[in-house]
Amino acid sequence: MPDILPRRRLLAASAAALPALLAIAGCRSAEVFAGPDPLAGRPPLSRDVITLQAVIAAEQAMIALYQVAVHGDPRPTGRARGLEGLLAQHRQHLGQLVARLILPSGEPSASFSPSTSPSAAPTTGPGRVTIAQLRAAERASATNLVRRLVTVPPDLAQLFASIAASDATHAVALGG
Amino acid sequence: MAVGSVTGLAALQAALAAEDAAIFGYGVAGAHLSGTRQSAAAQDWTGHNEARDTLTAMISGLGATPVAAQAFYQLPFAVGDAASAAALAAYLEDGVTRAYLGLVAVSDQRLRTFGAVAMQSSAERAAFWQGRTQAFPGLQAS
Repeated sequence: MPDILPRRRLLAASAAALPALLAIAGCRSAEVFAGPDPLAGRPPLSRDVITLQAVIAAEQAMIALYQVAVHGDPRPTGRARGLEGLLAQHRQHLGQLVARLILPSGEPSASFSPSTSPSAAPTTGPGRVTIAQLRAAERASATNLVRRLVTVPPDLAQLFASIAASDATHAVALGG
Repeated sequence: MAVGSVTGLAALQAALAAEDAAIFGYGVAGAHLSGTRQSAAAQDWTGHNEARDTLTAMISGLGATPVAAQAFYQLPFAVGDAASAAALAAYLEDGVTRAYLGLVAVSDQRLRTFGAVAMQSSAERAAFWQGRTQAFPGLQAS
């Protein structure tokens, strides 16, 4: 391999000479490389990602609301058992939504977990969530998802629509 | 799952075909139901007729000819009692839900919204006949 060292020297020399060559040519690095400027910081998140993040946050809030309703009921009633079934489906929603979220490296993502803990509902006291509140939340969620699905890619729109339909059935199951 | 390349017209025609199948199927199911469940089936049958008329008008409005309903539809399983009639109704509603979900994948935002709203009604009816809700109506087998 007698030619390796000369080639390495050539490469090193080229790298070292690049700024000088660019200066001679009157170019700046941003004009030479058409891609994103690595020195400009993290690129902004796309609109679809921001929408998905908002939907995930809303699903987490729904789960937290259900958890308060379920765990706030001191007796193992039929109501609590019924709510657990709906809660399980919301966890499935969250799992699918989180699976679609691909964030650039360095973006915080630890808060997006399908297994939202009961402590994630700090604003509502135990047992203070009524069926009417859950029903209203389900209706609002269905409406919100339909509003958001018009701008996202088709596969994500279908997921939003399916979750919205599920939420609509939950509202009916809750009595309205 | 439907894909974005599906045209709005094709998705509308698919929804119309699903509604026609549901209208036929509810006629079969209703004959094996009684009482409040028969009333529910009659109400759902009426709803599907109205949806068919809406879709027919939308397709005609696009300058196309709506697909014609078939004279007979092959049932997915034998229907001979109330339980199988309810199962058929649920099956039909799942089919309608999937068809409207196809509309959600088209580029036209109004059609997307129309499909998403319509599939909520069919999902609610499916939940009634199945006696349970689904996590992902239209995306999963019943």
